Amino acid sequence: MVIHILKRLSKKYKIIVNDYPSLIVIKMDDGYGGRNLTNIIEVDKVCKQYNQREILKDVSFTIKKGSINGLLGPNGAGKTTIIRLLNGVIEATTGTMKVMGFDPKLQGDEIRKRVGIVTESASLYHDMSAWDNLVFFSKIYGHADTKRIIHLLDQFDMLRFKDQLVGSFSTGMKKRIALAKALLHNPILLFLDEPTNGLDPEGINEVIHYLRKVNQEEGVTILICSHVLHQLETICDSYLFLIDGKIVENGTMIQLEDKYLKEIKLLVETGLKPLTSPTYKGCIYSRKGENQLEFLLSTKEEITPLLTNILKETWVHNCEITNRSLEAIYFHIRGGNVGE
Amino acid sequence: MWVNKQTILTIARKDMKATFSSKKVWVPMVIVAFLMCIVVPSCMAYFGIHFDLVGTSSEEIEKPLNSYIENFPNEDMRNTLIALPTLGYKFVYFFLTFMMIPFFLMVAIINSMVTSSNSFVGEKERSTLETLLFSPISIKDLFLGKVLASLIPSLGISFATFIGSFIIVNVITYPYFKVILYFNSTWIILMFWVIPILVLFNIILNVLISAKVKTFQEAQQFGGILVLPIVGIMISQASGMFFLSPLTLFLIGAVLLAGNLFLIKLVTKFNNRNTLFQSQIH
Repeated sequence: MVIHILKRLSKKYKIIVNDYPSLIVIKMDDGYGGRNLTNIIEVDKVCKQYNQREILKDVSFTIKKGSINGLLGPNGAGKTTIIRLLNGVIEATTGTMKVMGFDPKLQGDEIRKRVGIVTESASLYHDMSAWDNLVFFSKIYGHADTKRIIHLLDQFDMLRFKDQLVGSFSTGMKKRIALAKALLHNPILLFLDEPTNGLDPEGINEVIHYLRKVNQEEGVTILICSHVLHQLETICDSYLFLIDGKIVENGTMIQLEDKYLKEIKLLVETGLKPLTSPTYKGCIYSRKGENQLEFLLSTKEEITPLLTNILKETWVHNCEITNRSLEAIYFHIRGGNVGE
Repeated sequence: MWVNKQTILTIARKDMKATFSSKKVWVPMVIVAFLMCIVVPSCMAYFGIHFDLVGTSSEEIEKPLNSYIENFPNEDMRNTLIALPTLGYKFVYFFLTFMMIPFFLMVAIINSMVTSSNSFVGEKERSTLETLLFSPISIKDLFLGKVLASLIPSLGISFATFIGSFIIVNVITYPYFKVILYFNSTWIILMFWVIPILVLFNIILNVLISAKVKTFQEAQQFGGILVLPIVGIMISQASGMFFLSPLTLFLIGAVLLAGNLFLIKLVTKFNNRNTLFQSQIH
């Protein structure tokens, strides 16, 4: 009742109201796409055993509403198990979880009504057309709305293929239909399990583009499971690293860089020809090409003074930190060698 | 409300559309029904009446057959059989009235097995069961949708072939027998009591089996066991061990109905997403 009144008021006064049972969040539209810092997922000390094998060990993490999160880890780390647990299709052995304020074990249907999911295989009916697939799933989700289907097909550039059998589609096209399927019921939360598997570079870019669009335009919180790290770098706000069933690290890229980047490798395209090798103004460097120098710095704060000094002497066309990739951080966390 | 009618109908419609859009599925179903329930009785009626099917060996079997008829348990049938002029007529009448029953039972079993064993295993093989389990539908609605999707085509084909057979056989035989075949209490109980309950029983059992097994072949192997009792009925009918009187048929239906209730109880026990997911999705 309270939520209902608030919702009516919200239409009038541009207030955002979340309809979770255990929390009511009221936030004036701040012009930042409705983003706030409420936790939409809370996982606390979750363990999962299956056939005497421990798949998840004491997993705890939170996901903020409106964010895009990467759940990273090698194959078999337990990423898919986490998604299944959060959707309430399997049950945790111990621990507690809250998804939008609901307990997946007891209120799974409430979660599933509000969640969209793209599983690893596209999971569509190949003997049915794209249109029939979307109509079927919209009815299953209780949101039979042809306007929404047309809108999504249009968004994913699939409207002209709507009457073709899904079985005749390429992997990329199937993924787009699977994404449209996951968004049919205007979900609050979107789970994607290896969404870029089997896609060519163009297909990967398209999926990333659509996900960003969905996050920005519809405010959907996204959790992406993947083992292909470089694809997530441009899209995720924060990351969870899952290795052997344990969350070994989490945070935003900046937080992770601060923690793991102990030295900065700065590649500068410049006309500088230092005379005193192997340092320039106290910075160690090595030559990587005719007009390329790689400087080894201890903090990011050293970048600006270095570039200022170089610019006093000559031109600079490009500069880039080369060891800040997600992959490099991932290998740091795994304790292996940093891939460069 | 304890079931979601909309969801059940959506799943049932989708499955029926899949059944009838795949020629590999529906053509064999229709052909088996057409051959066993229309071609066999029509040929038997036509050739039995117009040609001497029993042939030269008639004298050898005339005596045992006549004694068999004289000892027949059902009085009306005994009198009708005795009144028929030739051995050929008697044989045709007997065949169409009694020996066709297992054929109709067999068709109902085979067709319901084809559609129902495809239900969960079919979804699993297309990797769509995972998506369905991730959606906000109850396992009960999913089961009911699957049962309905198998029940409607199986019963539809059974009834359609019965009507077809009824018309053709009677057109052939009425001028000679002056009796409408298939129009007695035995056949009415068979078609509108035993077959619907048998089909339902077979479907629920198959849906349960296919939710437990991992491949389509496994599901069909389990389902195949159900044909055995029908073969038993066929043999016992032919050997004269017992006859499917209206009362026997009514009792068979009643036992199957009790079996249905038991299976439904099992289904509700099985109504757990976690169990289904862990047994089917990997």
